[in-house]
Amino acid sequence: MSVLAGSNRSAKPMPPHIVKVDKDLEALVQRFLARKRDDLQRAREALAGGEFDTIRRIGHDLKGAGEAFGFPELSNFGAALQSAAVAHNEGVLIEQLEAMEQFMARLRITLDK
Amino acid sequence: MNTTTLKNPDVKTAPHSHSTLAAHAGTMRVAIVEDDPSQAELLTHWLELAGHHCHHFDRGELLIRALDQESFDVLLLDWNLPDISGVDVLKRIRTSSQSGLPILFVTARNREDDVVTALRQGADDYMVKPVRRLELLARLEAIARRGKHRIEQPEVMEIDVFKVDTQTRTVMRNDRQVELTAKDFDLSVLFLRNIGRLLSRGHIRENVWGPSAVVTSRTLDTHVSRIRNKLGLTPENGWRLAAVYRYGYRLEQLDPSRHLAHDER
Repeated sequence: MSVLAGSNRSAKPMPPHIVKVDKDLEALVQRFLARKRDDLQRAREALAGGEFDTIRRIGHDLKGAGEAFGFPELSNFGAALQSAAVAHNEGVLIEQLEAMEQFMARLRITLDK
Repeated sequence: MNTTTLKNPDVKTAPHSHSTLAAHAGTMRVAIVEDDPSQAELLTHWLELAGHHCHHFDRGELLIRALDQESFDVLLLDWNLPDISGVDVLKRIRTSSQSGLPILFVTARNREDDVVTALRQGADDYMVKPVRRLELLARLEAIARRGKHRIEQPEVMEIDVFKVDTQTRTVMRNDRQVELTAKDFDLSVLFLRNIGRLLSRGHIRENVWGPSAVVTSRTLDTHVSRIRNKLGLTPENGWRLAAVYRYGYRLEQLDPSRHLAHDER
């Protein structure tokens, strides 16, 4: 079993979210999640700089990719980020980025036999 | 605790032998224009598992440039690209020498007016991300089937004086079997399935020798010359297997009336 765990800033203990993947998809999924962690960081920096269009693009890509990789929750975060970025709604963006980070921290990838 | 499973659904696995693969009627050469590397990797993974050959471009202009020297069976096109939009790519292809290329839009843009715009500009189909694997494969195969150059063909084809059986891997010409090597057979089938279509050297190499084979231009030219002679693909017989400078080859069936006129002269 391989395990992916992100940073977990949340004080609350949250149950892990386990996703089983075929062995031949494992490397793809690992790379996808690593990129999305980078995107999360980029989105935080963009929010700090008021670059809403960067967040919109990150959200748009995440919306399109998440579910295809087995993470419909990430597609939902992507859609929320995209629409909040279009509306320049900083409050929602902060909430969504925090929630997405917590979700990714709970992710556990296991190989499906 | 939440648990979900991401599996490769039941699809045919890629055959081990490339010659088997090349002879398979369903193998397509697919261009993917997608700037998100994760999406591109996933689409490529799915399509290659299904036996197709993929070429990825992360910019629209890179594809447009590649089309000067390459041919594909179908194009998967994203809308939002870093340089030009997918719709601009679509418009340029539809006014180019490769205007018949089947194009499937794959984009996260889900508004009705986006779908309508893409279809009205000439897209053959439209899928909203996140895409589902089996649906993607089915739609891809469907637009390729509807395209000018059908990808799926029967095991036995009868074209003019030729009868090609891909099961027994034989070609008959005027009811007499033509002796062909395995590569010459694959090459003959590729041309006879794509009459009138300009095929790039890369396309031919990939279909006949496989995506990772190193084949010189001279080797390819030699095989083409050999099947031209063995199958009699010459104007006297109503056929022309023509080289197109710096691009590839096209097999043409000449106008029968002109052929008759030629014979009568």
